[in-house]
Amino acid sequence: MSGTFDGQAPPVEVRDLTVAYGEAPPILEKINFRIRAGEIFGILGGSGSGKSSVLRNVIGLVRPRAGRVFIFGQDLWADDGGHLNDCRRCFGVMYQAGALFGSMNLLENVSMPMREFTDMSAEAIETAARLKLSLVGLSGYEYYMPARISGGMQKRAAIARALALDPGLIFLDEPSAGLDPITSAGLDQLIKTLAKNLGLAFGVVTHELGSVMNIVDRAILLDKEIKGIVAEGDPRELARRSEPPYVAAFFNRQSLEKAKGEGPAEGGSKRRPGRIE
Amino acid sequence: MKDGEGFNLKLEKGRGGLTVHLSGPLTVDVRRAAWEDFPASDGQGQSLLVNLSGLSALDLNGSAQLLSAGAKSGQAGFKVEYGQAPQDLTAIFELAREALERAAAEPPAPVGFFEELGRKIKETQKDLVVLITFAGELMAELLRGFRRPSQIRWNSVLSVAEIAGVNAAPIVSLVSFLVGLIIAFQSAMALSQFGMTIYVADMVGIAVIRELGPLIAAIVLAGRSGSAFSAELGAMKAAEEVDAITTMGLSPVRELALPRVLASILTTPLITMIACFAGVFGGGLVLTAMDFSLLIYWQRAINFVSPATFYICVGKSFLFGLVVAAIGCQRGLAAGDGPGAVGQATTSGVVSNIVAIAVLDSLLAVLFYVWNI
Ligand SMILES: Nc1ncnc2c1ncn2[C@@H]1O[C@H](COP(=O)(O)OP(=O)(O)O)[C@@H](O)[C@H]1O
Ligand SMILES: [Mg+2]
Repeated sequence: MSGTFDGQAPPVEVRDLTVAYGEAPPILEKINFRIRAGEIFGILGGSGSGKSSVLRNVIGLVRPRAGRVFIFGQDLWADDGGHLNDCRRCFGVMYQAGALFGSMNLLENVSMPMREFTDMSAEAIETAARLKLSLVGLSGYEYYMPARISGGMQKRAAIARALALDPGLIFLDEPSAGLDPITSAGLDQLIKTLAKNLGLAFGVVTHELGSVMNIVDRAILLDKEIKGIVAEGDPRELARRSEPPYVAAFFNRQSLEKAKGEGPAEGGSKRRPGRIE
Repeated sequence: MKDGEGFNLKLEKGRGGLTVHLSGPLTVDVRRAAWEDFPASDGQGQSLLVNLSGLSALDLNGSAQLLSAGAKSGQAGFKVEYGQAPQDLTAIFELAREALERAAAEPPAPVGFFEELGRKIKETQKDLVVLITFAGELMAELLRGFRRPSQIRWNSVLSVAEIAGVNAAPIVSLVSFLVGLIIAFQSAMALSQFGMTIYVADMVGIAVIRELGPLIAAIVLAGRSGSAFSAELGAMKAAEEVDAITTMGLSPVRELALPRVLASILTTPLITMIACFAGVFGGGLVLTAMDFSLLIYWQRAINFVSPATFYICVGKSFLFGLVVAAIGCQRGLAAGDGPGAVGQATTSGVVSNIVAIAVLDSLLAVLFYVWNI
């Protein structure tokens, strides 16, 4: 597949990444993970655990305090970010609120990256844009402005735009946030189809358990208390664990107190990271 | 695989029709020049077979390029048929083909002149109704506020007064000072020929206090605070904050517009005073440079200004303060939704304000002339 630098390197490799804003103490310290080709990878965690912040570091919007991020084997910040834009062209991002350009209709939104970065003819670009909109279930809405379609449709259009340059890797920030169960399930199905048929790797930021269990192949769970990854592995397997309490609580929708074994008073056992694999 | 290298298109003419052999990677990187040989005219019902078996890679954009070229040939009269793609690429090509078959929206028909005109008139009519409603509501709220001042949220009034009023003082003084300076300088050039340079004081005094002071203050406030009001309220409207206020049973005019309008009414006269002072002072500087005493200049300038002129100045500034804030807030509250709405509301607020100030000022000038003040 084009847009990737070479077939061998994993789509994403994160080494000892420390996430922090400004001078504030870090939110996450020295985290490591890897997204493999063709897999749907979940970045999970409670609200405020730093999921979006990790994403912002991985896609090169924010420079990490420490550590390195490789996209298809390319160090994002080598040469002081000199070829950051080349790296950026080989992944697509769907932002939490869609972030479609409000002054363009959907067809133009999806065509824009192709117009900027490819040498395809105008007809081919239009065909490609229609094709992608249809792929995400938006045929018939090509000439609608983003403000005139619903939130779920905006997110699907944003996926179509993320697909514009046929990247091998797509990041999604909270794809199911604010969507009804049916729309959300439709979106999950779409992600699964794309991963299977196009061999795309997905990095999905979410705390929506239903969609995690449905589509995610492998996941990391972030915890703000230990400032790192508290568990890593197949979410269906993680859900069966009872230790550490935070993992059990997260996957079973329990309060933390309950997961620790009834009653908050029972000895304040410090959570320890646990891994599968 | 960069830059579409390796992709190849070969055209073969057989007895039954044409065959196009594609080989190499057909991806987003393939350049448009690569498609030049793809038959696109004079089909006359010939069959055109596209042989995909040589492809080594295929993605959505590659498929789109092929399907778009194929559609063009179809229109030119070819019977286009796609052959079998290699095993691992079939899924993508079928996905792309099926998706494209479902895509069929036509661009919306352009709107005709009369339809457009009608729509504009209807919109203007609606705008006018909204504007009048707002003016009425605001007046009612202001009256209510006068009767029960304790119900006004003075905290917000004060904070708006600081941001929109006090912080505007430096720029208003600067503009006014420079205008006073320019008027004094230009009139001194003319008057000095008749040895009447000192009359510059009378002129600057009356011009600045009666006309320019209030006008400059109002225009700067329109650009600074009026636009800020439109933008703030427009953003609140877009974020559904205005709807939240309405559904709580509160009035957006009372909660959002009233504090801003009150703050503006209270601070504009003060700002105008500062403007007048700075303008007269600017004129004085010119005369001092021409060897007149600043004290004499000042006395003449102030003496020439009758109490009536002073009241006119204050009265006008009240009115301008009211109008600038009211229009600014109204435009914000009337903002549409969509991403451009806040920008449009702001622009519309500033433009309406400047037009309103100019028209109002001219009307007042005529009225005062008729009433002989
Ligand atoms: N721009 C920012 N500047 C400073 N702190 C931030 C910023 N964005 C997020 N944070 C902090 O980082 C933490 C994680 O936020 P975020 O990554 O948005 O969490 P999540 O997406 O998991 O809900 C929060 O405590 C938040 O206050
Ligand atoms: Mg987030």
